[in-house]
Formats: sequence, structure tokens, C-alpha cells
Amino acid sequence: MEDYLQLKDISLSYQTKEGEVLALKNVNFSVKKNEFVSIVGPSGCGKTTILSLISGLIKPTTGEVLLDGEHISKDMSIGYMFQRDNLFPWRTIYKNVTIGLELKHKKKDKESIQHVDDLLKKYGLYEFKNHYPSQLSGGMRQRAALIRTLCLKPKILLLDEPFSALDYQTKLSVCDDVHSIIKREHQTAILVTHDISEAISVSDRIIVLSKRPATVKCVQKIELDENISPLKRRESPLFPKYFDLIYRELSNEK
Amino acid sequence: MKNKKNLNYSKEHKKYLKQIKVDKFTTLVAQILLLVVFIGLWELLTSVGAIDAFFLSSPSRMINKLIDLFKDGSLFYHIGITLYETLIGFLIATVLGTLIAIILWWSRKLRKILEPYIVILNALPKIALGPVIIIWVGAGTGAIITMCVLICVVITTLSMLSAFLECDEDKISLMRSMGANKFQILTKLVIPNALTEFVSVLKINVGMSWVGTIMGEYLVSKAGLGYLIVYGGQVFQLDLVMASTLILCILACVMYLFVGILEKKVRKHKE
Repeated sequence: MEDYLQLKDISLSYQTKEGEVLALKNVNFSVKKNEFVSIVGPSGCGKTTILSLISGLIKPTTGEVLLDGEHISKDMSIGYMFQRDNLFPWRTIYKNVTIGLELKHKKKDKESIQHVDDLLKKYGLYEFKNHYPSQLSGGMRQRAALIRTLCLKPKILLLDEPFSALDYQTKLSVCDDVHSIIKREHQTAILVTHDISEAISVSDRIIVLSKRPATVKCVQKIELDENISPLKRRESPLFPKYFDLIYRELSNEK
Repeated sequence: MKNKKNLNYSKEHKKYLKQIKVDKFTTLVAQILLLVVFIGLWELLTSVGAIDAFFLSSPSRMINKLIDLFKDGSLFYHIGITLYETLIGFLIATVLGTLIAIILWWSRKLRKILEPYIVILNALPKIALGPVIIIWVGAGTGAIITMCVLICVVITTLSMLSAFLECDEDKISLMRSMGANKFQILTKLVIPNALTEFVSVLKINVGMSWVGTIMGEYLVSKAGLGYLIVYGGQVFQLDLVMASTLILCILACVMYLFVGILEKKVRKHKE
């Protein structure tokens, strides 16, 4: 399959009073369509920065980001999920989910409305559409946050540690939930995380970054059954082996 | 539904609920008692001559004064004038302060440039500007409203600006990732996000606008509650001073209650 997202020779430096800081150095990697890729690396190495680059919120110093053969731009539809759901407490679930359409003045677009309703029904939030975020559980809120990004039919989904604010039990089930929705909607996704097990359980490939200035240290293909849930994948005999491999790559960095 | 549930409560829980009720009730009784005792003592001590009603007035004399004022029609005239000045000052200050805060949120550069001046303006006792206001605006209602606005506007600007700036960076990034422009970020995120803070500002402004208006009336006025107080003081009519102060208390309370109702509506969906 062809490369869907390509990062070519990306370098990024930014200025501080103390001098110039090189955050990323010659980062090269690509993601195929419908692939689920995770990025792991030592903390503070610039994982989130890579997502900001892909979303077009910041520009690289050198190099280029191509998505579906085009240079990344602000007008491209890119889904972003954060650590917290960032639902607006003063809006109902429905109004939260449709905020993207509202921004693009497509709130009265019949096709888009239908799409929103379908998503809400499919993922069990339709009956809660007039509820406020504070009335929903953490897992449901994160699901609403995911639907909010899916409403805009994003070309790619960027997940910035979306589970790390949840307690362990919820985290596992929300992770299953989000993973299954992403697979069902045939989305291409990039997950940034510091949790190695989480990365192995959801990904097709894992990209390991070095410490700052970050560069791609290695790429590990994960060959676990794609058709079972992340929680089930954790039970595979291969799982600890992958864990070990990636753990070692990361420990060498510290 | 509630009663039905009540049946299933354990003895301990019922006891606990009762304790809360008792607690609330005793507090209320104590509050009322305090007021009654205060007024009663005041009346008693002045009527037996233990303290001089000429200096301290007395509840009955205050009420008589109010009846007199009501009879000659001047009570509502003075209330009307002060209320008008306060409400106009309150509205102008709130709107103006919020607008300035929006402009300062929009432009980081302007914010940096103006910061020291705003700090100085905030620290300055606005009453010092009284004579200047009278010369510029003229000795009349305009000067009183200006004083009221001056007192409220700086604190409104500062509070609203800090509420705007407190908006979560993640939420702003989220909006930007969905293609929002700066105006949309302002109207759909930053302003609604600051709504609770806005209500607190209203609460502060209720108090401040009364301070501003009464201060303005002390400086220049021919009518209004502030005028009655100053006039009463000058002619040693403590009944008039006390009665006007009492009316002020009631008016400020009512205004505060209105803001309280608004606050409840806004808070409903805040986490």
C-alpha cells in the first residue's frame, strides 16, 4: 500500500532566551491508510510536537509533511483528541459534538446532520444528546470527544495520550471502545503515549523516538491479531516479547 | 418520589438528615434574633434616655422619618434618582470594562504596553479624581455616573481579562485544529468559558457601583440618597441619615439578590 502520511526530513527548532533549541532532527516516517501507529519516546522528547506538526498548527523548520499527496494546511480536516475530553460544560452533548460543523458553517447541511445522528446512534450517545457533559461518565465523555472529531470526516486522527487522565479500569475499557470505533470508521490514527502496553495493544506499528533532539530510533511492527480487542491482545504470548523489545529501546535512551 | 425513597432510608440516615434541618433552623433563628435584639435594644435604650436619640436616632424615629418622606413624595423621588445613577453607572462600567478586556485579550502587544498603566489606575483612589470630573463633566448627574463608572470599570477589566486568559490552552488548540478563527475562538469558547467569572464581576460591581454613586452624590448633588445623607449630616438630622442608609441597605440587597438568581442559572452546568 502507498504511504498516506509522510514526514520527510523534519527538523524543528525554536528560540528561547537561552538560545536555540533543536527539538526534532531529521524525523522520517510514514503511515499507511487505515493504519494505527503509536509514537513512544522518553518524556519531553517532542511527541506532542510531532502531532502539532501533522495537524498544521505549527510549521517545521525544514522538511515537509504530506497527507494524501498534499502539503499539510490548516484547511485540511484533521481530528485531534487530547488527554482530557475538553467538552464544553455549557453545551449539550449534541452541541459539543457539532461544534466543528458550526465552525465551518455547515450546521444546517443535511448530509452532515445525518452523519452526526448516525454516529451518535451507532455509538450509543443518541439518547444522551441533550445531556450536559457533567452528567456523563468519563468513558462516555471521551467517546463524545471522539465523535466530535469524526463528525468532520477527518483525513487522519491524532490522539495525544487520550486515556492517561482516566483511572486504570476505565482506561482499559475506553481504549477498547475508542479502538473499535476507529477501526469501524476506517480511520487512520496516530497515538502518542508513554504507556508501552497501551501502544502495543492498539497499534499496527510503533515508532520509537530518541531523546531530544528527537529522531526516529526504530520502528517496530506489531503482528498481533487485528480483529480482537486491545484488551484481548494483551493476553497474546507475543505481547511480553514486544514489551521487552520496546522497553529496551527506550531504556537505552535514558 | 422523594417520600417514597425516604421510607428506605436507614435510621442513621434519617437522623443525619434531621440534624442538617435542625442546624439550618437554629442558624436562621439566631440570625433573626440578632436583628430583633439589636433593634429592640436600640429602641429601648433611646426611649429610656440611656443613649441620646439626637446622636444615634432610633428605629421608631427612622420609621417616622420614612413616613414623612413618603407622604411628601420625596422618598421615591430620591430613591429613583440614586437608583437611576447606580444602574446606568453599573451597566456602562460592566459593558465598557468587558469590551476593554476583550480588546486586551485580542492583542497581546497592547496588553503588554498598557499593563503598567492599568495597574496604576487600579491602585489610584478614584475619589481623588472628583474635582477633575466636576470640571470636565460638570456638576450634575453626569459627574456622579462618571464617578460610578470609574470605580467599577478598572476592576471589571482586570477580572474579565484574567478570566479570558485563564481559558484552557488545550481547548484553544482543539478549536484551532477544527479550523476556528480567532473571532470564533473568542465567541464560542473564551467568552462562554468566562461566564461564571462574569457573574462574580457583576456581584462585585453591585457593591462598587453603590459606592461610586454615593461618593459622587457626596461630591455634587441636589437629590438622591447620598444627598439626603450629606444634607442630614450637615443639619444634624440623624433620623434622615439613618433612614436613608437603611433604604440603601435594602436597595443594594435587592440588586444583589437579582445577581444571585442569575448566578444560579449560570452555575447550573458548570462542573
